[in-house]
Amino acid sequence: MGTGAPESPNVLVRSRGASHLQRTDKRAGLSLLTPAGIVILAVTIFPIVYSVIMSFNNIQITQNGFRFQFNGLQNYKQVYSAPLFWHSVWFTVYYSIITVAVELFLGLLIALAIQNVERLKSVSIVIMLIPWALITVISAQMWSYIYNGVYGVLNAILQQLHLIHAPVNWLGQPTTAVISLMIADIWKTTPFVVIILVSGLQMIPKDYYEAARIDGANSWQSFWSVTFPQLRGSIALAGLFRILQAFGIFDLPFVLTQGGPGTATTSIAMLGEETLFTNLHFGLGAAVAVSTVILILGACLIFLSAFRGMVGEEAQ
Amino acid sequence: MKHRKKAISLIVMGTSAVALVVGCSANTTQSTGQGNASSGTASVKVNSTGSSHVVNYKNASGTIVWAESFTTGNLANELVKAFEKKYPKIKVKLQVQPSDTDTNRATLTTAISGGSSTPDVYMGDVIWPAQFANSQLAAPLSDYLPKSFWNRFSNGLVSGATYNGKVYAAPLFADTAFLYYRKDLLAKYHLPVPKTWEQVKSEAAQIQKAGGARYGFVWQGADYEGLTCDFDEYLADAGGQVLKNGKADLTSPAANKALSFMRSLITSGVTPKTVDTFQESQSENVFTQGNAVFLRNWSYAWSDSQTPSTSKVVGKVGVTALPTFAGHGSSGYSTVGGWDLYVNPHTKDLPAALQFLDWMTGTQAQSILAENSEMPTNKTVADSKSLAKYSPVFALLPKVKFVSRPSQTPEYPSVSKAIYDNVNEALAGSISVSKALSLANQQIDNAQSSGGL
Repeated sequence: MGTGAPESPNVLVRSRGASHLQRTDKRAGLSLLTPAGIVILAVTIFPIVYSVIMSFNNIQITQNGFRFQFNGLQNYKQVYSAPLFWHSVWFTVYYSIITVAVELFLGLLIALAIQNVERLKSVSIVIMLIPWALITVISAQMWSYIYNGVYGVLNAILQQLHLIHAPVNWLGQPTTAVISLMIADIWKTTPFVVIILVSGLQMIPKDYYEAARIDGANSWQSFWSVTFPQLRGSIALAGLFRILQAFGIFDLPFVLTQGGPGTATTSIAMLGEETLFTNLHFGLGAAVAVSTVILILGACLIFLSAFRGMVGEEAQ
Repeated sequence: MKHRKKAISLIVMGTSAVALVVGCSANTTQSTGQGNASSGTASVKVNSTGSSHVVNYKNASGTIVWAESFTTGNLANELVKAFEKKYPKIKVKLQVQPSDTDTNRATLTTAISGGSSTPDVYMGDVIWPAQFANSQLAAPLSDYLPKSFWNRFSNGLVSGATYNGKVYAAPLFADTAFLYYRKDLLAKYHLPVPKTWEQVKSEAAQIQKAGGARYGFVWQGADYEGLTCDFDEYLADAGGQVLKNGKADLTSPAANKALSFMRSLITSGVTPKTVDTFQESQSENVFTQGNAVFLRNWSYAWSDSQTPSTSKVVGKVGVTALPTFAGHGSSGYSTVGGWDLYVNPHTKDLPAALQFLDWMTGTQAQSILAENSEMPTNKTVADSKSLAKYSPVFALLPKVKFVSRPSQTPEYPSVSKAIYDNVNEALAGSISVSKALSLANQQIDNAQSSGGL
């Protein structure tokens, strides 16, 4: 700020005729913010606004680019009257709720376990980071070898253990396909939850536990009245990130099931992609995308308010 | 309380943003329209008025980019080298596309709808012309090329690349499906090469029972375009069709017969249950690892089955035309596949692009394709006697009856999805055959009338 002060205020003062140092300071600040603002505008706000505009138009690709034709709520009417849309919303919602819940629960267990094993903590964190760091498309391909109904590893192991007699067609039946996807997802993203929760655990002052022990609390009580309330911020953060990601689930079913069998594992993101890039219906696709954003926003708000309410009562 | 305030302000912000956008959209419509019109006159020299004018490309020069999606390694390079030798004034740069057809389409539509002038020429699936023409992603080649240009192609191929009376693509190579069989196993159990689907099923079951192979017959049953191809063949064999006078016709007895037979292959154990997750590579793998008696696949499976590094059945494989249902003629229908060459409507060097197309569909390039086991589209090359020496599947071509997918509508992706989604579900056993067909029927009509999701 200071170095630019002698020159820039003069210019601004002359051109605008303003004389207050405060105002010019504010201007300089704003002008310094402008580059960052433009970048954010260009990469975040503009695409969002543009897709909202697209969703209210009938869009034809022509030789000279897109041709927009305002058609009001027609795209939304068509999207909301399609059974496939509601089917994919339902799949996305229950898939997200179940996987995020399991991930938070498992993540908390693992984080607590790691926390108490001082020596192996860094090693176990590094090991656990592997699934999370692997690119999903690659790990999904790996899972497809595991789940493969003919030469899959999972079938081979289960048959060796005499748990099943004939190979199971994991990805070829609706129920097992959904469960298989969930397992692959939980395997991949639980470590993310663990990392956040471990760092949250480290922030809790040791004195609290000491105080609890002096008050005669057993470990269950100290968990509920010290660990959990202190950790709620981290849990909310991890949950929020995971919900945001889970609602956009695309790569796993894209590689493992192509949305099948039938449409059993078609997520809302897959539907949007297909509408946009396979069917080339840009207006409809934008309507799907905007609906997805509203859905995610709603889910996050519900999660936050539910989580805060619950924790608030527990704490008091 | 604080949080609620935040949430409320968030919502208010959101709705006002939406309101703002709704208010603006009428204006944006106009302004984008104007912007496009002006840029159109500046950069696009192709088809400015929509009238046709034949382009003379004899002295073409410059550099063009060719987006290629061959699955076999070096073929594109070989073709480009031969072309550049013949036409030294034109340089061709290669742009390798994703091998997944849908991903390939997505990258092409993103580039071209965004106004990119490259790739100048691209390879595209034979089922794309209607959709690409409707979205102006492909230049109307028949406007720029003389009528006589199209005489070089085998019958029926040009009509597949035509939409509303104009030709949008030049057929590059064709493809179709065959029945591959283990001749050693058929000989061992004294069984003839099957001519009907019923025979395929019973012979496969017999060999499986005797322990000759783990599976009988493998094909493509996953939730994707390939399943539409497989289904269309059984449907045509049973005397049915997807569209009748433009309306879906899948509630017919023929459609029921076709899908019931496909399902019965699974329930009888001739086909593994996991076939509903098989694309070409998975089904081919089972066959080349020696675990199946019969395989339905495209022409390239022949060379794959004869490659010792990947195949355990080298020298044990026979190939024949696809069978049909008993009482429905001597051989069955095969789906027409293959790839075309399209020209980007934004190309800056149309003459060079057309010269390249001309050469690629001429006898020299088409012979190179044939040597690499791709089925030529040029009539002279396709009809030559010497063709059979490259692959035994070429010798079967006169026997093959072709069935085309209903790709004359720009909504074809949705039509096909209606078929493969529901057929796949029926194969998985989660819905009945008749339910799957009536759903498919309904979704096809929906897709065609409203261009649905």
